[in-house]
Amino acid sequence: MIALGVVIFAPSLMAAAVLLLRKWSGLLAVAGAALSLVGSFTLLAAAISGTPFIATLPGLPGMPLLLEASQLTAVLSLMVSTVAIFVMIFAVGYMDKDPEKPRFFATMLMFVAAMQLLVLSADWITLLAAWEMIGVSSYLLIGFWHGRPKVAGSATRAFLYTRSADLGLYIGIFILIGISGTSQISTSLATTGTPAIVGGLLLLVAAMGKSAQVPLNDWLQRAMAGPTPVSALLHSATLVAAGAILLIRIAPMLPEQTLIVIGLVGGITSVVTGLIALGEKDLKRLLAASTSSQYGLMLLAIGAGAWVVALLHLIAHAAIKSGLFLGAGVFQHSRGSTLMSDIAGAGREHKKVFAGFALAALALAGIPPLVGFFSKDAIIAAAMSAPGAVWLLPLGLAATVLTGAYMARAVGQLWRGSGEEVKPNSENSNASSISPDMRWMGIGMAGPVFLAIVLGVTFVPLEEMLGKEPELSTLAMAFGLGAAVFGLLLGWFFKPKQLLGPLLGWAQNGFIIAGGMDNLVVRPAMAMARACNVVDQQLYNLALKIGNSMMSFARGTNIMDIGLYAAVLAFGNSMMSLGRVTRFSDEKGIDGAIFGFASITFATGKLARLLQSGLIHRELALSIIATGILAVGLIAAPMLF
Amino acid sequence: MIPVISIAVFLPLVGALLLMALPKSSSKFAHTVGIIASALTLLVTLVIWSRGIVPGGFAQVEEVTWIEAIGAAYRVGVDGISLPLVLLSALLFLLAFIYQAKSGDRARSFVILMLMLETASIGTFVALDALLFYVFFEVSLVSMYFMIAGWGGVERQKAALMFFLYTLLGSLPLLLAILGMFLASDPYTFDMRVWIDMPPLLGVGGMLALIAMLFTFAVKIPAFPVHTWLPAAHVQAPTVGSVILAGVMLKFGTYGLVRFALQMTPEAFADAGTVVLAVGVVGAIYGAFVALAQSDLKRMIAYTSVNHMGYVVIAVAIAAMATDPKMRSIALDGATLQMISHGLVTGALFFLVGMLKDRAHTREMDQFGGLLKVVPIMGWTYILMAFASLGLPGLAHFPAEFQIFLATLNVSPWAVISILAIVVVAALYLRSISAVFLGETNEKWSKMADLDRREIIVLVPLIVLTIAIGVAPSWLLNLINITTTSMGL
Repeated sequence: MIALGVVIFAPSLMAAAVLLLRKWSGLLAVAGAALSLVGSFTLLAAAISGTPFIATLPGLPGMPLLLEASQLTAVLSLMVSTVAIFVMIFAVGYMDKDPEKPRFFATMLMFVAAMQLLVLSADWITLLAAWEMIGVSSYLLIGFWHGRPKVAGSATRAFLYTRSADLGLYIGIFILIGISGTSQISTSLATTGTPAIVGGLLLLVAAMGKSAQVPLNDWLQRAMAGPTPVSALLHSATLVAAGAILLIRIAPMLPEQTLIVIGLVGGITSVVTGLIALGEKDLKRLLAASTSSQYGLMLLAIGAGAWVVALLHLIAHAAIKSGLFLGAGVFQHSRGSTLMSDIAGAGREHKKVFAGFALAALALAGIPPLVGFFSKDAIIAAAMSAPGAVWLLPLGLAATVLTGAYMARAVGQLWRGSGEEVKPNSENSNASSISPDMRWMGIGMAGPVFLAIVLGVTFVPLEEMLGKEPELSTLAMAFGLGAAVFGLLLGWFFKPKQLLGPLLGWAQNGFIIAGGMDNLVVRPAMAMARACNVVDQQLYNLALKIGNSMMSFARGTNIMDIGLYAAVLAFGNSMMSLGRVTRFSDEKGIDGAIFGFASITFATGKLARLLQSGLIHRELALSIIATGILAVGLIAAPMLF
Repeated sequence: MIPVISIAVFLPLVGALLLMALPKSSSKFAHTVGIIASALTLLVTLVIWSRGIVPGGFAQVEEVTWIEAIGAAYRVGVDGISLPLVLLSALLFLLAFIYQAKSGDRARSFVILMLMLETASIGTFVALDALLFYVFFEVSLVSMYFMIAGWGGVERQKAALMFFLYTLLGSLPLLLAILGMFLASDPYTFDMRVWIDMPPLLGVGGMLALIAMLFTFAVKIPAFPVHTWLPAAHVQAPTVGSVILAGVMLKFGTYGLVRFALQMTPEAFADAGTVVLAVGVVGAIYGAFVALAQSDLKRMIAYTSVNHMGYVVIAVAIAAMATDPKMRSIALDGATLQMISHGLVTGALFFLVGMLKDRAHTREMDQFGGLLKVVPIMGWTYILMAFASLGLPGLAHFPAEFQIFLATLNVSPWAVISILAIVVVAALYLRSISAVFLGETNEKWSKMADLDRREIIVLVPLIVLTIAIGVAPSWLLNLINITTTSMGL
């Protein structure tokens, strides 16, 4: 109970402290992440010893909020806090001179807290709440430099993409709660049959949005508008990870039909975004496309029925990708840009950072004994033995080749190329306002790289703990390693243009089909909005017209009245008020009509004139008198009976 | 026992009478009377809350014979649906008085009108006699009419008349339905509790009464397609008028939908449920899309009310159609909570837009840009409330909408299509945030002043409650749930 509280609330309380104190924000953030880390270790220890932490909080009637640190969720929690602490340490240096530091660290802490809540949630409402909080935190962080052009657009796009996909989560959850009668995740996973297929597919949609899977992938590459530590965090252990984590957690429920769809979505994404990464002209955007590709591989593993393998790759990727992003952040500082052409050769100026970056790149490609080798090997093995192997295996291997190719290209560019230091442009670079404290940044980057080297040894015990027999397949190993080495060689010796040929331009465009989401969704939605607005104007006019027709009816009556001398006197008053109304409503035709109608029905023309004269007390007195008469009438009513 | 409910109803009226008796009172005095009267009223409603409610009926009933021969009496009381609305009304009126306190524009008249409106509003929610309900319902109309007509924008008179015509014509069918149920009750009575326990009209009569009531409440809610008075009224109304209109008066419609349509003609409502549901679904989606097309902030927020109230209509229809009592109570919990959340969140948004307009004299979002740097408190409050309005978890609308959609999917799955609207609403709020507060600062507003203390005081209770309901809705839902699980429909 206490450890659960520490894991989630230590970052939130520190966020509050940062906002209140407005100083020491970096140190408080590191402290918050450290406390969370200690809590995560405690949770894992308890889960291994068989007495997991559980908490129940009041939620909706009949649906309490539940938290549970099972072995799986405790491992995930540990992953989140580990990445968080290194990113926070890095950010202390990176954000050193930024005047809005407190807001940055507070939001980062909130991000971490929301992610911890997500991984530890044991009921659907908590999970959904955390899921959306993560979306908001990333909106705020991507939009951190909100005064700059285009930043607001990137943040808005990220939020709307994931929120649209979240509808799948909402409806999927409603189905599972409705069928199983409980909001507890573990119990609801007993769902079978059609609800399980449909529910699983709906949750897949949500995961695709968060994990940036094709076709919901392009927001992630555009999300580079935020500070680099944000990218490091959201690509490795928070926002993007949420999608894969959701699928890992519901994997036991998923029937065959849903699994194959998940595998194909993942496989196709891993290849398509791998090609995009290969064609990228910007290092950070390359890393972003690579994130989509690696999460594609995780989905492929889940689709192959091996969710534990997906978890291994998730952990491996978390360490590797945070290291890569933090390294990219250093190069960005030295050159004031992340364009490949600008940072070319920057590795020779920062040899230690470059070594770390290169090690992480080799790890991602899947070279032994680095961590990526073990997880990628397991993915290939899983794909080989899966029912859909005929599709999954080629896709997985192609993605592995591509991974090697784009990482080799990035590393090659950093080492071999020659580029000039770019004059920091105050609009587009972060370097102008921030002078990095390299020591903090170095420690922050060294941590993940170290983990990327050694973490492989933990995988066998981890698999055993989660109840999966570690598989050793020499064939898979040969395939995986061969593909990785082949990819590295391709990337090192050939240019993207030679590799991609005619596909290059399309890949650099993000393989946009039919104008992408802007054309397919945003424009129709805006057109729909405008159409509804026109309808609404028409409805308003219709109301006025109804008034108008009543008005002409009344006018007709009045004309007859003129003929009928006797009636003239009787209707004289209404005529006069009509005249006044017409004069007063500046001959606006229809506009006047409603007033005319009103005057006849309620003699409001007179009132309106009173208002016009500004003598409010008179009209007020009128209303009071009217109310008074009403009241007297009502009180006197009993006497009539 | 001290009749606290009656005190809550008539305390504001006492304040109004006091001001009427003192024609020479200054603006300051008038505002002081308004704030004190409404603050005391809020305190009294808290006492009502502390006395609690009972399952399966109304609590703290106060009754005075009035017209014995026809069974009309002064009857007031509360249950889990009306009590939260009473608390909400009392709070919003107090905040409105605080906001208005700087205005010297015919302050005495304004305060008198507002206090009369407060009596009418609280009275509408606590009335247990159909005639009494109708009287309060109508009196509120008159006060709001004068508020818009006297203190509104350039085209105030047109908007005020539109408002008046729509809602006055709209309420006549309710009177017919009330008379119908009166004539069908034996012995004759206007006691709403009797009508709820034993619905007097069944079969065709019940259906006719339902149709009449639906018409009245649809105008008030406002539901598509009889909502067109709402944007017009909001755009012209003064800020506090909009806050009260959206925060309190729209709830007369949804409250009536539950209290009258659902509870007094349950069979007919179950039969007609699909039609009402369709009206709600169309309204929710349509309202969201029209809001997306707006460039005037206040108009935009006004249309999101059509969307949010559409969800309430959906929830009540689902409650009428549900056969599973669990789903019914989930739907009604959601409906009631949605009314409260909407009052808090939309109230705050209207205050904020009013504060912006006070400074800039425009509400066109394209006129702004980068204001977050200039007026951070206003900006962050708007962002928070916009996220609340778009249904973010941890903020007030989420638990309500979650329950509404959950019940909808399990009772009438097709209607869950209305969930699409939450993306549209998200898009329009993010767009407004981007346009007004993010990006490069428009030089024209670089000297704009941030919120002052009075304005912050107005917003803080709304912020606190929005978060409190979002994070731990149980303190409020448990109250609502007592009634929704024991309504015995």
